[in-house]
Amino acid sequence: MNDLKQLAFQRKNKMTFLLAASLVKGIATIGQALFFVFIADRVFLQNATFESLLPLFGGLFAAILLRVGAGYAIGRAGVNLAADVKSEFRNTLIKSFTENPLLSAAKGQSGQKVSLLLDAVDEVDGFFSKYIPQMIQTYIIPVLLLVVIFTQNWTSGIIILITAPFIPIFMAMVGKGTKKKADEKMEQLSQFSGTFLDILQGLSTLKLFGQAEKQQQTIRKSSLSFRDSTMEVLKSAFLSSLMLEYISMLSIGIIALEIGLRLVVFDSISFFTAFFILILVPDFFNSLKDFGSAFHTARGSVSAAAQLSAELEKNHSPLTWGSETVAPEPPHLSLEGLAFQYGEGFSLAPLNGEIFPYSQVAIIGKSGSGKTTLMHLLAGLLPQTEGRLVINGVPRENVSEKSWFDQLSYISQSPYLFSGTIRENMEMGTNRKVSDEEVLSAAQKAGLAEMVSALEQGFDTLIGEGGRGLSGGEKQRIALARAFLKKPSLILFDEPTTGLDLRTEQILQESLDELKKTSTVITVAHRLHTIKGSDQIFFLDNGKINAAGSHEELLRNYSPYEDMLAAQQGGGAK
Amino acid sequence: MNELKHILKLTLVEKKDVSIAIFFGFLAGIASVALMGSSGYLISKAALTSHMTTLVVMAACLKLFGFASALSRYGERLYSHRATFTMLSHLRVSFFERLSPLAPGIFGRYRSGDLLSRIVGDVESLQNFLLRVFYPPVVLGIVFLSTIFFSSFFSMGIAAVMFVGMLLTVVAVPALFSIRKRRTGGQVRASRGSLAIEATEFLYGFRDLKIHQQLVAKERQLRNDADYYNEGQRKEGLEENLAQSINSLVALLVSFFVLAVGAYFVAAGELNGLYLAMLVMISIAAFENVAPMAAFPAYFEESRKAAVRLEEIVAEPAAPRGTDKLPTGQLDLRLTEASFSYPREKSSAVDKVSIHLKPGTKTAIVGPSGSGKSTLIQLLLNVFPLSHGQYTIGGKPIETVEQESLWEEMNVVLQENHFFYGTIRSNLVIANPAATDEQMELALAKVQLELFPLTMAVEEKGQNLSGGQKQRLAIARAILKGKSLWFLDEPVSSVDSVTGRAIYDELFRLGQDDTFIIISHDLVGLEKMDQIVVMENGRIVESGSYQELMDKKSYFHQLKEIENSVFA
Repeated sequence: MNDLKQLAFQRKNKMTFLLAASLVKGIATIGQALFFVFIADRVFLQNATFESLLPLFGGLFAAILLRVGAGYAIGRAGVNLAADVKSEFRNTLIKSFTENPLLSAAKGQSGQKVSLLLDAVDEVDGFFSKYIPQMIQTYIIPVLLLVVIFTQNWTSGIIILITAPFIPIFMAMVGKGTKKKADEKMEQLSQFSGTFLDILQGLSTLKLFGQAEKQQQTIRKSSLSFRDSTMEVLKSAFLSSLMLEYISMLSIGIIALEIGLRLVVFDSISFFTAFFILILVPDFFNSLKDFGSAFHTARGSVSAAAQLSAELEKNHSPLTWGSETVAPEPPHLSLEGLAFQYGEGFSLAPLNGEIFPYSQVAIIGKSGSGKTTLMHLLAGLLPQTEGRLVINGVPRENVSEKSWFDQLSYISQSPYLFSGTIRENMEMGTNRKVSDEEVLSAAQKAGLAEMVSALEQGFDTLIGEGGRGLSGGEKQRIALARAFLKKPSLILFDEPTTGLDLRTEQILQESLDELKKTSTVITVAHRLHTIKGSDQIFFLDNGKINAAGSHEELLRNYSPYEDMLAAQQGGGAK
Repeated sequence: MNELKHILKLTLVEKKDVSIAIFFGFLAGIASVALMGSSGYLISKAALTSHMTTLVVMAACLKLFGFASALSRYGERLYSHRATFTMLSHLRVSFFERLSPLAPGIFGRYRSGDLLSRIVGDVESLQNFLLRVFYPPVVLGIVFLSTIFFSSFFSMGIAAVMFVGMLLTVVAVPALFSIRKRRTGGQVRASRGSLAIEATEFLYGFRDLKIHQQLVAKERQLRNDADYYNEGQRKEGLEENLAQSINSLVALLVSFFVLAVGAYFVAAGELNGLYLAMLVMISIAAFENVAPMAAFPAYFEESRKAAVRLEEIVAEPAAPRGTDKLPTGQLDLRLTEASFSYPREKSSAVDKVSIHLKPGTKTAIVGPSGSGKSTLIQLLLNVFPLSHGQYTIGGKPIETVEQESLWEEMNVVLQENHFFYGTIRSNLVIANPAATDEQMELALAKVQLELFPLTMAVEEKGQNLSGGQKQRLAIARAILKGKSLWFLDEPVSSVDSVTGRAIYDELFRLGQDDTFIIISHDLVGLEKMDQIVVMENGRIVESGSYQELMDKKSYFHQLKEIENSVFA
C-alpha cells in the first residue's frame, strides 16, 4: 500500500490541491452549520423578521455552494489523479512489452499480459480516485470539526476524543478477522462461478450424453448452498459494521445527553451552541465512516498493484544495436560461444559454428531441445547472455538494426497476419513502393494468385480479425509472398510439422528452392529431404549442439543421427 | 427498463426476502430521520423549559431511534444480500434452461471461446441489479414519502420543497445521467475492446512485427489506444463525480429551502418556531440517504447491457427439430450433396459432400487441417443444419428425427472433450448412470487407465490430466455408453502410437459389428478400414479402401509419402 501512496505523493501539485480543497470543504461544512444555527436561533428565540435574515441566508447559500464545489473539485482531482497514474502504468507496461522480447511474448502468456494491461490497471483506480482523496479529507476535516467543537464546548470535545479512537481500533480488530474470511470467500466465489462456467462449457457433452436436465438441479442446489455459506460470512461482516454504528450512535447519544444536561439542568450553554454541536458531531463520525469504506476499496487495488509491480520488476535486457550497415547479400555468420540462459530454467549451452553465405542449414532435435531459441538468437530477436554472433566479421551489437532486419525474413509455422487487406499483409516489411506487377508475381510464386483471383475484391480483400478466415496453408503462402517481395538475403524458416495440404507442401518446396538461390536459408527442419539437402545440420539435444555436419558426415560419425533416421523409417511403417 | 423486465421477474420470485429487505431498509431510513428530527425538537424544547422529563425523553428517544436504525440497517443488508443470491440462482437456472436447447449448435455459431466467460461475467454483474438499481429508489421513495407526509402536518410549503427535492434526486438526476451514460458507455466499452485486440496482436505478432520493423508504429498505435481508453475512463469518472456532486447539491439546497420556507412561516407566525429545528434536521437526515443514487446510472447501464447481451444469446431461434424416434437396430447414414458454411463466412466449410455409411462398416476421414473433417462430423451429428443437400438416417430424413434420440444412439469422442470438476467416477457416470464400479473399472482398463482410481479428483476442465489421458478417459466414457454408432474425432492424437494402436484394436474388437466413423490425424493403421475418405478444402478428393487408394497412387498416396518423411 505504501508504494501506491508514494505514487500519489509524487504528484505534489495534485496533493497540495487536494489538501487545499479539503480545507475549504471543512471550513464550508462548519460555515454551513453555523449559518443554519444562526438562522434557527434568530427565528426561533429572537423572533427576527424574515427580511433581517436575508444576509444570513446569503451566507448559508454561499457555504453550501462552497461545500459542494470543494467536494466536486476533490472528486475531480481524484479521478484525474487515477487517470494519470493508470496512463503511466499502461505506458510503462507497453514499454516493458516491447523491451522484454520473445520469451514474454510467448503465445501462452499473452492472455495474461493483456489482462494485466486492462484489468489490473483498472483495479488500481479505486485507490487513487477514492481512497487518496478520502484519506486527505480525513486528515483535515475531522480535525477542523474537533477544534471548533472544543472551542464551543470542550466537554463534548473530550467525549469525542475518548470515544472516537474506538472506531479505528475496532475496525482494525474486526478487519483482520473478516479480511481472512472474506478472502477465503472470494476464493470460493471464483470457484463457484467456475462451477457455473464448468457446466456451461460442458453443455455440449451433457447434451450428447442426454444429461443436461439433471444439471439444472445441480446449478440450483450449488447456487443456494453457496448463498447460505456466504451469508454466514456476510453476517459477521455486517455485524461488525453494526458495532461501528453503535459506537458512533453511543458517542452522539452521550454528547446529546451532556448538552441536554447543561442546557436544561445547569443552563450553562445557549441553544445556539447546543444546536451547533448537535449538527457538527454526526458530520465528524460520518467522515470517519467514509474513510472506512474507502479503505475497503483500496484493498482490492493493492493486490492488483502487486501484480503490476511484479511484472515491471522483471529483468529486462533489451537488445543493443550499433551503426554498421550489413551489405545486402547473404552474410557470413559466426557463432562464437553463443549462449542463452532464461532465469533458472531453460538454457542454451555455448554454441560454436560457421554459417557460410548461400548455405543451407538444418536445425534438428526433439521438441524442447532449444531449436526455436537458437533461431531467435540468430535472428537478433533475443540477446545472448554469453558469447557473440558475428556478422561478416562485425559483432551483431555493432550492426545497425534496420540494415539487419532489412535482410531478414522469418517464415514461421503460424505467420502473423494483421487485420488489413491481403496486399497490405504481403507488403508488410517491404519499405519501398511495390508495383501491382510485383505483387502479382510474388503471389504467383507463392501459389496465392489462384485463390486471390477467385475473390471478389482480389488483393483488397480484408483478412485477419473480422475479415475472411484463412486456412493454415493460405497463411503460409502469404508469408512466402512476403519473402518474395522483400527479397531477403537471410531466411529463417520454421518448417511445418504436419497438417498442410499437398498443394501447399509442393509450393513450399518450390518457393524455398527459388529463394535459396539468392539467400542463406536456416531451417528448423522436419522433412527428411530438407535435412538431406542441407550443407550443414545442427543436431540439438537439451540445449547443446551435439553434432554438426552434412548428412553423410553425421551418418558416418554420429550414431544418434542414424538411430533417429531409423526410428523415423520404422515409425512410418508401423 | 424493458430489457430488465425478465431480471425483475426473477428477482421478485423470492418476494419474501425482497419485501423484508425493503421493510428493514425503510425502517432504517425512517429511524435515522426520526432520530435527527426528535433531537432537533427536543433541543428546541429544552431551550424553553427546565424540566428534567424533557431530558429523559430526549435521551430515551435518541437511544431508541439510534439502535432501531442500526439494527434495521443490519437486517436490511442481510435480507437484501440473501435475496440477491437467490435471484442469481434463479437467473443461472433460467438461463441454463433456455440455453440448453440451443447447444451445442450455438457454440459453433459463435466460434468464439470467450462467449461462455462473457455469459458468466454478465450473470455475475447482474447481482448489482437488486442491490444498486432496483432497491435504492424504492426504499428512498418510501422513506421520502413518509417524511413528506409527516412534514405536511406542520407545513405544506416545507412538504412541497421536500417533494420537489425527492423528484430531483431520486428521479430526474439519475435519469438524466443514465441517458448520458447510455450515449458514452458504448464508446468506452468499444475502446476497451480495441485495446484488448491491439495488445493481443502486438504480443502475438511480436516476432513478425520486429523483423518487419513495424514494432515502433504498432507500439505507437497501442499507446494511442491505451490513451483513448484512459481518456474515456477519465470522462466516465468525471461524469460520475458530477452526478454525485449535483445530487448532494440538490440535497443541501433542499435543507436550505426548508429552512428558508420555515423561517418565513415562523416569522409570519404561521408555524411554531419550536418545530423549525426539527423540520430542518428531518430534511438533512432524509437527504443524507440519496448518496447511493449517484452510482445508480452506472449500475443501471451495466445491468441493462448485461441483460440485453444475455437475452441476445438465448433469443437465437432454435432450428426446427423433428420429434420422431430413430428406428431400432443398425442404421445406415447417408449424406447427399451436403454443403455447409459458417455464418458470416463466404466459403463453404463442407462443399457438396456425399458419403454413405453402411451399418457395421468402418470409415476413416483424413485430410489436412482445415479441410472440413470436423465440420463433416458435426453435420453427421446434426449439430448444424445443412445449408444444402440431404441427410438421412435409417432412411428417415434428419429433419424429422429428434436430436436427442439421435445422440442417444451414438458413442461420441470429440477433439475437445469436457471433463467436469469432480472425480473420475462422476465424469464416467454421465455416460451411463446405471454403470457399476466394475463396469467403469473395466472401461478404464480397456483404454489402459486401470491405474486411475474411480475416486481420483478431476480438476476443472480436467486440468490435472494430460492431453492423452483426457482422450483415453473420453474413450472410456464412450465405451460405457455402449451404443453401436461410433463417432471419433482424432481420438488418440495425443496418445503415443503404441497405446493408440492398442486402443483402436480394443475398440474394433468391442464393436465388431458396430459402425465407426473416425477422423484420423495420421495415416497409420488405416489398412483395416472399409472405407477411407480423403478431404481437402471442404470437398472429398477421393475415397476407397486402403489398397485401392495406394494402388491409384493419388492424393492419399502422396500424403502418405510426406508423412513418412516428416520428423514430428
